[in-house]
Amino acid sequence: MTGHEDQSDVSTMTRETTCHRVELYGLPAVIAGRRTLEVAGTTLAELASALVVACPRLAGPVIDPATGWLNRGYVFVVDGRFTRDPATALEAASEILLVAAQAGG
Amino acid sequence: MQAIHGRALVVDCSTGTAEPFPILPAVSAAVLGGAGLASWLLLRFAPPRVDAWAPENPFVLAAGPFIGTGLTTSSKLAIATTSPQTGFIGDSLTSSYLALVLRRTGFDALVVVGRAPRWSVLFVDDDQVRLLPAEHLLGRDPEETTATLRSELGRDIRVAAIGRAGERLVRYAAVVNDGRLAGRTGPGAVLGAKRIKAIAVRGTGRFPAVADPDGVHRAARQLATRSLGPETAKYRELGTVANLAFFSRLGVLPTRNFQAGSFPAAEALSGERLVTQHRADRQACAACTVGCEHHFRTSDGGPATTVRLEYETLFALGSLCGIEDPNVVLRAAALCDRYGMDAISAGGTIAWAMECVERGVPLPGSPDEWPRFGDGASLLRTLEAIGERRGPLGDLLAEGSRRAAAIIGQGSEAWAMHVKGLELPGYHPKRLRAMALGFAVTPRGACHNRTSAYEIDFSEDAPASAERIAQATARSEDRSALLDALPLCKFLRHCFDDFFVEAASLVRLVTGLSCDADELQRTGERIVTLKKLFNLRQGWTRSDDTLPPRLLSPNGIDPAELDRLIRAYYRVRGWAADGSIPPERLRDLGLESLLDSVSIGS
Repeated sequence: MTGHEDQSDVSTMTRETTCHRVELYGLPAVIAGRRTLEVAGTTLAELASALVVACPRLAGPVIDPATGWLNRGYVFVVDGRFTRDPATALEAASEILLVAAQAGG
Repeated sequence: MQAIHGRALVVDCSTGTAEPFPILPAVSAAVLGGAGLASWLLLRFAPPRVDAWAPENPFVLAAGPFIGTGLTTSSKLAIATTSPQTGFIGDSLTSSYLALVLRRTGFDALVVVGRAPRWSVLFVDDDQVRLLPAEHLLGRDPEETTATLRSELGRDIRVAAIGRAGERLVRYAAVVNDGRLAGRTGPGAVLGAKRIKAIAVRGTGRFPAVADPDGVHRAARQLATRSLGPETAKYRELGTVANLAFFSRLGVLPTRNFQAGSFPAAEALSGERLVTQHRADRQACAACTVGCEHHFRTSDGGPATTVRLEYETLFALGSLCGIEDPNVVLRAAALCDRYGMDAISAGGTIAWAMECVERGVPLPGSPDEWPRFGDGASLLRTLEAIGERRGPLGDLLAEGSRRAAAIIGQGSEAWAMHVKGLELPGYHPKRLRAMALGFAVTPRGACHNRTSAYEIDFSEDAPASAERIAQATARSEDRSALLDALPLCKFLRHCFDDFFVEAASLVRLVTGLSCDADELQRTGERIVTLKKLFNLRQGWTRSDDTLPPRLLSPNGIDPAELDRLIRAYYRVRGWAADGSIPPERLRDLGLESLLDSVSIGS
């Protein structure tokens, strides 16, 4: 990825939460100007909020500012499983991808 | 039933004569239009076991009831004919202004039979038909052909044309209109066999009246608004090229002729990179509010090329052939457009040849001309050779991977990646069970669009049992068939909360038919069944529903598991264990009149 903003990884890690490397695909990657963001959270809901802090331009096109959660066009993939459940608990080693919900073409 | 004309125009291009053919209201209600009507007309007009090259092979263009209603994305033209690749049903869709003018001729469909005595343009001028000389158009690409015909016949005509690939009977030649290709299964080659360089249509009449004009107007506005929501953002913002890097990450990106599911150079070819470094503009096809058509330009200092690019073209001419340079892929895509060739089959066939070279299996012609994985110049050279059928190598590869492998032998059938003769699209099915099933059973051959079954694999609640996968795949196939019959673009499929319920509401408003969600789902199943019936009559057997040997290996899909999935699918469909259709199933679907087709098939 080549990009124009967020030149450094942004961490909202606290002592209680785990930092996760979130891989971005499609529009989120173009908006962030990079393939990954490192953010903290114990659930996907927390992760979504942290992503907006790390990259405010995700608010609107990807994450609904009113709810802090993904809009209908996006989905997380956690350890190979597609999910839009904000309560999904994250393990320290979880692989997390943020992608368009419309997989395929 | 409203919103239809109730008749087709049947043209015999051997004689230049044409006559209307009535489409009974019961038929229109049963199949609606688009791909449903095209499939029915193909069954009606094709003799049993017709050869794709035979003059008797019908070439059908069909419109649907939603065209011209203002419902977004509905201007799609359905094509059905016997495929030169598969010998079974070849159906393709293309977004098209031609669909709009065809509806204004007073006909729902055009059926072309025969073979013109000389190269011709079939000109449908409302209800008048003429065969015009086309010698001056030979060798021209579809865009030039269209421009010439519009200057000769008037700006108000619309054109579907073939390129040099169609003239030379490349088996995966496309029909091109408005820059869009109906390429899969090779309908352009059938037009070439009929010596029809182009079909030009002028329609000046009115669209057939809809049942509830005010209701349709309101529904159209609502659907247009929803079409601009987050459910279509991917298509608007990046287009389908966004799939490539993600698919590579998941391990489902076909790479080097399906030898791998991830491409080390995926980042260089990614949609994100294309959008930031190669984007030219974005356009919408006829009557569409989504605008998914992204154009990209080369940046390598060579002759400037701008071309529309979709994921399928990107994978087929990129990772499948081991190509890392996006400029090469853009030039290769432009060549496919110029020659009028399906990029998936072109890339799939060349990838087969590349693997032959890699394994030391000699191809015809000079070794200097053979294509090699990762060699962009050899890819471009080979595409030109195929489009021209130039030399023994171009002539061989113009036949597609199945026939080429049968000619070359030496075990190369094992890496010819096709189902029923149609090369696989950009989903490595090793990890995608529903998609694997869809590839195996869909009447068209290996196709992602006719089932959209990848969505089942990519869903939150991906089913695990064969029965549930089969059920979900069949329902998804029914939905796709219905979308192709209305028609509406599949990119709208997530804009509905309950597709069949909301589609039934639209059908009632447009046609006046008193249908509900269940009936529409049955309509989708009926259309799938029509396609299967055609294949049965063409000699389909259970062994045709399978996957390439490479995928049925210890590192791929267990053959026993695929067999379980296929048997479950047949059960869901109400078919016999050998895949034939019991007469009672046809009666259930209201297809009694086609019982003779079953006896022919069995």
